[in-house]
Amino acid sequence: MAIGFELKGESMSEIPLVQLLTPEGERVSHPDYDTSLGRDDIFAMWRDMTIIRRLCNEATSLQRQGQLALWAPLQGQEAAQIGAGRALAPNDFTFPSYREHGIAWCRGIPPENWLRMFRGVHHGGWDPQKYRHSVPTIVIGNQALNAVGYAMGVQRDGAEEATMVFFGDGATSEGDVNEAFVWAGSFDAPVVFFVQNNQWAISEPTIRQTKIPLYRRAEGFGFPGIRVDGNDVLAVYEVTRRALAHAREGGGPTLIEAFTYRMGAHTTSDDPTRYRIDAEVEAWKHRDPVERVKAYLVRQHQVPAASFDDVTEEANTLAAKLRDDVLSMPNPEPLSIFEHAYADVHPLIEEGKRDMVELGIAGGGH
Amino acid sequence: MAQMTMAKALNEGLRRAMENNPKVLLMGEDIGKLGGVFRVTDGLQKDFGEDRVIDSPLAESGIVGTAVGMAIRGYRPVCEIQFDGFVYPAFDQIVSQVAKLHSRSDGVYTMGLVIRLPYGGQIGAIEHHSESPEGYFAHTAGLRVVSPTTPNDAYWMIQQAISHDDPIIFCEPKCRYWEKGDVDLDHPPRGLFEANVAREGRDVTVVTYGPSVRTALRAADAAAAEGRSVEVIDARSIAPLDFGVMVTSVQKTGRLVVVAEAPANASVSAEIAARLAEDCFYSLSAPPLRVTGYHTPYPPSRIEEEYLPSVDRILDAIDRVIGFES
Amino acid sequence: MSARDFLLPDVGEGLTEAEIVVWKVAVGDQVALNQPLIDIETAKATVELPSPYAGTVTKLYGAVGDVVEVGAPLIEIDVAGDAPAPAAAPPAAAGEGRTAVLVGYGVATDEGVPTRQHRRRGSTSAPAAPAAVVPVSTPTAPARAPRSTPPVRLYAKQHGLDIARIAGTGRDGLITRADVERAVAGAGTAPRAVVASTTSVTRFVGHELAPWSTGPREERIPVRGVLRSMAEAMTQSAFSAPHAAAWVRVDATKSVELLAGLKQRESLAGVRLSPLTLVALALCDAARHFPGINSSFDAANNEVIVRRSVALGIAADTPRGLIVPNIKDADTLDLVGMANALSALVDTARAGTTTPNAMMGTTLTITNVGPFGIDGAMPILPPGTSAILAVGQIAKAPWVVDDEVVVRHVVEIALSFDHRCIDGALASAVLAHVGRFLNDPAPALLAG
Repeated sequence: MAIGFELKGESMSEIPLVQLLTPEGERVSHPDYDTSLGRDDIFAMWRDMTIIRRLCNEATSLQRQGQLALWAPLQGQEAAQIGAGRALAPNDFTFPSYREHGIAWCRGIPPENWLRMFRGVHHGGWDPQKYRHSVPTIVIGNQALNAVGYAMGVQRDGAEEATMVFFGDGATSEGDVNEAFVWAGSFDAPVVFFVQNNQWAISEPTIRQTKIPLYRRAEGFGFPGIRVDGNDVLAVYEVTRRALAHAREGGGPTLIEAFTYRMGAHTTSDDPTRYRIDAEVEAWKHRDPVERVKAYLVRQHQVPAASFDDVTEEANTLAAKLRDDVLSMPNPEPLSIFEHAYADVHPLIEEGKRDMVELGIAGGGH
Repeated sequence: MAQMTMAKALNEGLRRAMENNPKVLLMGEDIGKLGGVFRVTDGLQKDFGEDRVIDSPLAESGIVGTAVGMAIRGYRPVCEIQFDGFVYPAFDQIVSQVAKLHSRSDGVYTMGLVIRLPYGGQIGAIEHHSESPEGYFAHTAGLRVVSPTTPNDAYWMIQQAISHDDPIIFCEPKCRYWEKGDVDLDHPPRGLFEANVAREGRDVTVVTYGPSVRTALRAADAAAAEGRSVEVIDARSIAPLDFGVMVTSVQKTGRLVVVAEAPANASVSAEIAARLAEDCFYSLSAPPLRVTGYHTPYPPSRIEEEYLPSVDRILDAIDRVIGFES
Repeated sequence: MSARDFLLPDVGEGLTEAEIVVWKVAVGDQVALNQPLIDIETAKATVELPSPYAGTVTKLYGAVGDVVEVGAPLIEIDVAGDAPAPAAAPPAAAGEGRTAVLVGYGVATDEGVPTRQHRRRGSTSAPAAPAAVVPVSTPTAPARAPRSTPPVRLYAKQHGLDIARIAGTGRDGLITRADVERAVAGAGTAPRAVVASTTSVTRFVGHELAPWSTGPREERIPVRGVLRSMAEAMTQSAFSAPHAAAWVRVDATKSVELLAGLKQRESLAGVRLSPLTLVALALCDAARHFPGINSSFDAANNEVIVRRSVALGIAADTPRGLIVPNIKDADTLDLVGMANALSALVDTARAGTTTPNAMMGTTLTITNVGPFGIDGAMPILPPGTSAILAVGQIAKAPWVVDDEVVVRHVVEIALSFDHRCIDGALASAVLAHVGRFLNDPAPALLAG
């Protein structure tokens, strides 16, 4: 199972990675990371993955129809995100980049909120404290440091909470991510770094970012790193669950490299056919994270077709609702730009508001 | 009343802030055992412990980036950037996250953090140790920028900044650290964002801040000897600027000179001159003039006096605004 | 059934057009929401577009190989009448005045003549259709804007003069304050010299008054006869205190010179001397000469009260608004005493610490409108008083001295008075007295 990287002249496939479910849907055991998840749990994971894939497709369509400014699809990374998202405890705090729709789903954030930023009506989209999921971070890697700082606060509070931060393989080249590793190691911060190595930073392959497997970076910073099959939701779940527990118990940080693949474009503005070949994509299709769970559920647990169909129908309903929600999403009131620019009164804010009202750009009476 | 240097006043202000609020913590390079390269945090780690006075790794983006996370968690971090010229690695976190997260989170996150920044010249330092980057931050919506110039202001302004809910870039004029002055330990002199008329006068208004305040006051002394009455305003708050005090003064004198170490182009001094031209149009008997550092990288220290706004250059500007035909 | 066009949207490739690669549907086909309709190719990528509507294809706007501009229609779909509400038009999508870019809806294009989108500041209505354009300059406007400093422009404006019509005598034609002053003088009427009054100085409301120094401190005169008639007539004809006014322009050059000289004296250092000091002394002096001016009309008791003590009210413009604190026994003060009392009064008023007592019992009032750059005013009387003096700015103006036009410092003073008890003759006498004082203050000061 090494097609993806051999095509780039790499032999990273020789690296051991934690896997509990093969691409064919066979359960395999692992000496350190076995799972006690049963049929219902695993079916629920499949349901999550199916729904976010469907919602993601709807969002892509909405962008193609001119209803979103942009969309960052997650196809191929459903297992990495659902496995990680389901491993979180309610009180854990998470810092996403901008493709973590699966984490947002697991945190309970309504799908229309994910799309507010892409629709162009908000720069965040949800209440980050309510959902324990910070606002999206567009600047690559910034959130890694923010997460470490948050974890240091948790540490000082003496709370049993973990902080998890998500970023991609490209971000590992950023100074901020490396500084975050230094800080986390140096202060034993209760943080889990979750890098989704989807093989591509827009058009640049992972080999441009690193000469060694990413998970091995951790060793140099003084904490454990582990590579997990990012297309295996069971393995991702188990590896993440233990890393989070390790953090909560004061064991310090962990770097998880979820080895996965971005099946689609970087965003709807990207054209991946310009930099990667069809054979690579085809090869990864055989490792699809959603299909292998279905195969396992059918073969191992004899889940009937009707159960899968019900979920497909549910996903379609949610997609239709998402479409309706997006199309009826109102533009923000212009004066709202002033609302939270500062916490306290600021003369230039007051001046700006007056100007907008006096010129009739915004409401406020005639 | 107590006599102390500005460095000591900052130290006392930080101590008082930490005593008043257990969520206040300090982060920076060499601020613990060493007490900071300017000794501003001297003794604080001994008294408040390593968890609250954190000797950080040598990474400015790390200092500010982690402070952001701590603020999200409910702490009030006070970051020390060792020198003005080292703030640039943290620039991304400051303008991308610090300035915007309150807004992006619809006000849910309080970015109540302070970034202390020793800045400005006049200390004969080597490269990257004499810069005036305040304009970058003043330009950024979501940030506030202040600068004390006396021990009393330093003692109170650092406490006011820490208790404020917006992020504040706290610019400390390095050349003032060791100057002694009276500190009133009981009553703050004025609000954090209020300007101060440092010297009253009738003929010309000189608006300045930070390291240039003393230069401007000395120029006012020299002008007085020549029979000219110069009013000197210490802006104290660089963003927002307290235009009320400045407008009142310019309406009285009809003449304005702005003094700052940072080059004039697209700067805080540019903003002051532009706004006062707008607000005092009918009062101005001469165009506002600016006396600033030249548009070059900060020079080697042996010739910094020739680069900086000096008494002579300020007097020349005063001559020109008074001599302007009207 | 209703037909809807699907316009070529911005798909984010940064180009403004796309070529049709292949149609995946034909006219007459039933299509579902999000069903692939077409592959388009820009110079950068081939993109499949999903249908935003469910319905029947009724028209294809282009054939394979055609290049379609962003925003142009691609396909028409008939949406069934009972179908769900169709997708709204893209809010600000490409094709509606936007040019595609890499990561957004695209850049707004600016085709056509731009027009005002929002109302004018201060207006309450939306912008009208582009119509009447008000030119900001007249055809006869000079080729270049007149050169002058803002305060001089303001000065000209305050005198109703068009700065562009004033000849500048400064460097490069700069219009100076002196130029405007000359223009003001040319536009105004010839000033008059102060003339002495011939009115009897001691007669008031039909009574002969005892001198200031010998009369009672307070004296009550019954309102009868002529006085009563005037009072009733005035009350009926106007407000409760019928106002009248008189004014005069005065050559105050000697006052200006005197003040300049006094300011140089070391013994007077720290004393805030100003024209107002002299005006206050002048008005008190006038009261001593014409006690009737320092009176009040007591309608309730049908009496006029004459006081031989001046509580001199000063209309002060404070941050809290207009207040009129007074200087008690102002008639007893000398030059320095008056200057210090005025300083204290103004400082207290500005600081907002004026007590109620300081505002009670005013007998005469001065309002100084000069600092506002105003020549004169007809002020309203503070309740319970019968006269208020308005002082305008002191400004250089041409003045006739010995049939020669010379530049002098000129000030206008005006007196509003309660016509129930004060007639024009008395008011004029008081005004003339103040004018003479300001015209030549030294003798009065020495006498005082």
